Amino acid sequence: MSEAICLTIGHLFPDLLNLYGDRGNLLALKNRLIWRGMEAEVVEITKDDPVELAKMDIVFLGGGSDREQRLVCERLRTMRQDFRSYVDEDGVLAAVCGGYQLLGSYYQLGEEKIPGLELLDIYTKTGEGRLIGNVVLESNFTGKKEMVVGFENHGGRTFTGEYEPFGSVICGYGNNAEDHKEGVLYRNVLGTYLHGPLLPKNPTIADELLRRALARKYGRAIALEPLDDTLEQEAHDYAVKRFSQK
Amino acid sequence: MNENHRFCTGRMIVNLNRFRLFLAVAACKIAIWGSKLLGKKGSSMPGQLALKIYPGVLRDLAAQVKREIIVVCGTNGKTTTNNLLYSFLASRGYSVVCNKVGANMLYGVCCAFAADASVFGKLDADFACMEVDEASCVKVFAHMKPNKMILTNLFRDQLDRYGEIDITVDYLKRALALVPDTELILNGDDPLVAQFGENTKRKCYYMGVDEDVGVSLNETKEGRFCVMCGERLEYEYYHYSQLGKFHCPSCGFARRALDFRVSGVSLCDGLEFQLEYQGHIVPFDVHYRGFYNIYNIVLSYAAAVLAAGEIPDYAGVLARYQPQIGRMEEFQIGKKIVLNLSKNPAGFNQAISTVGKDERPKDILIAINDNAQDGKDISWIWDVDFERMNGIGVRNFIVSGIRADDLALRMKYAGIEQERMTKAYGLKEAAQALASGGGEIGYALVNYTAVFRMQDILKELEKEAENLE
Ligand SMILES: [Zn+2]
Repeated sequence: MSEAICLTIGHLFPDLLNLYGDRGNLLALKNRLIWRGMEAEVVEITKDDPVELAKMDIVFLGGGSDREQRLVCERLRTMRQDFRSYVDEDGVLAAVCGGYQLLGSYYQLGEEKIPGLELLDIYTKTGEGRLIGNVVLESNFTGKKEMVVGFENHGGRTFTGEYEPFGSVICGYGNNAEDHKEGVLYRNVLGTYLHGPLLPKNPTIADELLRRALARKYGRAIALEPLDDTLEQEAHDYAVKRFSQK
Repeated sequence: MNENHRFCTGRMIVNLNRFRLFLAVAACKIAIWGSKLLGKKGSSMPGQLALKIYPGVLRDLAAQVKREIIVVCGTNGKTTTNNLLYSFLASRGYSVVCNKVGANMLYGVCCAFAADASVFGKLDADFACMEVDEASCVKVFAHMKPNKMILTNLFRDQLDRYGEIDITVDYLKRALALVPDTELILNGDDPLVAQFGENTKRKCYYMGVDEDVGVSLNETKEGRFCVMCGERLEYEYYHYSQLGKFHCPSCGFARRALDFRVSGVSLCDGLEFQLEYQGHIVPFDVHYRGFYNIYNIVLSYAAAVLAAGEIPDYAGVLARYQPQIGRMEEFQIGKKIVLNLSKNPAGFNQAISTVGKDERPKDILIAINDNAQDGKDISWIWDVDFERMNGIGVRNFIVSGIRADDLALRMKYAGIEQERMTKAYGLKEAAQALASGGGEIGYALVNYTAVFRMQDILKELEKEAENLE
């Protein structure tokens, strides 16, 4: 009898970095495995728990307020080497909003400079006013051009240099409201400002993360059977239709 | 001669201001009358006009309040609390200025004062009770200094208007810095609210529920880290969201001794509890639903007795009080339909809790709009424990509103089978599906801009049902 296919998904600091319905993203990853008869173990890692990144197949780092981000920052810095190895070994890491900002070298918050994980050579600084609104992107993340929908709400402007973005902005502000890029891709790291139910409403993105994690864990491509995504598609298409025609 | 000249100029300024006050109040009244003719509800234009004509209009009118100005602030329950406070004070025979319709920004507050003043700018009021939007306090307090302020709670709400909850706290801190003598009546169970009583010389009163009522849910928690030092707060028990008996193991920030202490809570049929304060023990027994109403009732009662002494007819006031539009408002359309405004995770979780206590087979309608007043970001629907709607005897789920598609997807994840779910984009179509569902009672939980339209629709359907009988 073959062993069940199972992924371990680590949710980092849900007690602190859990804004704007990040829970939806975890639910999407978990359920899209279970609906296919596979297994998922979601490990909620709070600020005081020990973390073994090496045991994770997908790591999710959510968003928090500036105050909360300061709190996790120190904790994250102690894990820098682990993160480095995890990313270099092609571990799948999805970082949203505040979590995305922490991937970089630093976050310049007025006078204060919050050091980041330094996993990527990107940086963030505050700008005038918050960038808030619905977003539509055109992304190549899955290997073919697709529309991605979401919502952004951030005071920080992130500058990603030469890295490939998660998508180009059709509607919304994106990383910094200047270069029409949104998010960042590097190996199996996905950083984005699109918070909340990104993965439920963009099931192909969720599946791509799962596909990469499965391939890494089992050393071979594991097919993901198609699911009934009617409701997903309706929610997705509604947003594309309404927000990309402005 | 020089003296004389200065005196004259002074008097001329006084007279000029009086004239501008008259103009401002008159213009405001005409504008209110005009917008009523046009059928507009809660327009901000009249107040804006008055302030434009005479920037001192609110200051001069507020200065005429004989006894006290009381302000109500907080994310949920502002309107209920403020209107109850009004009713308590009015029951003592006082004349009270109040922004009852919930126009709670600077222009709305100004308009409420002008509407009650005579056309010559004379205001005959013993008290003013005003609900004020958290972000507007800084602006409002620049014009009027409240004697007391009630803070009900601070939850995540309308994120895309205010950024994050820390920004709201910051607004309130800046506003309170303008009025160092204002006394605070605080929800002591909410650490985000209770922080305003720390490190201050002002007089603060704390209200709270001093026992484990067993209403807590496994919901997403916000503000559960100490606002003073960042340590994780510990709780002896939770009520809901971050409300409960908390303490910080690191710096000692903790729920204070309660000046208004609620105990003996029963939620079986309406709300029953007793309140102890300043040597009094007062029983409450009201027909409202929802644990959260204890806070609205007791905070308003506390402000009333602190400002005006005993309220002999408090029970009558509570019995007569008509809940605001869409606060568990009831209709008869073949069966009982209950309409409730739910606009953020805390409000929704409380509503689901209340619905869950009803053991009858039921239908549930949920409608979410994303207009500017609702907040354009609806990500928070993933923070609501819709999962708890399983196993409470729900026959039909109807999702509606502008973001019906998002709700339908959320419900799929909550484990609601698609066979039990109806997607109805139009509110009327949704209301009809609710009325004709298989349950004995229907609940409509809808957010802000949907509630007004939904109320009209339910009234209309109620009339049609009456005519059929
Ligand atoms: Zn502390």
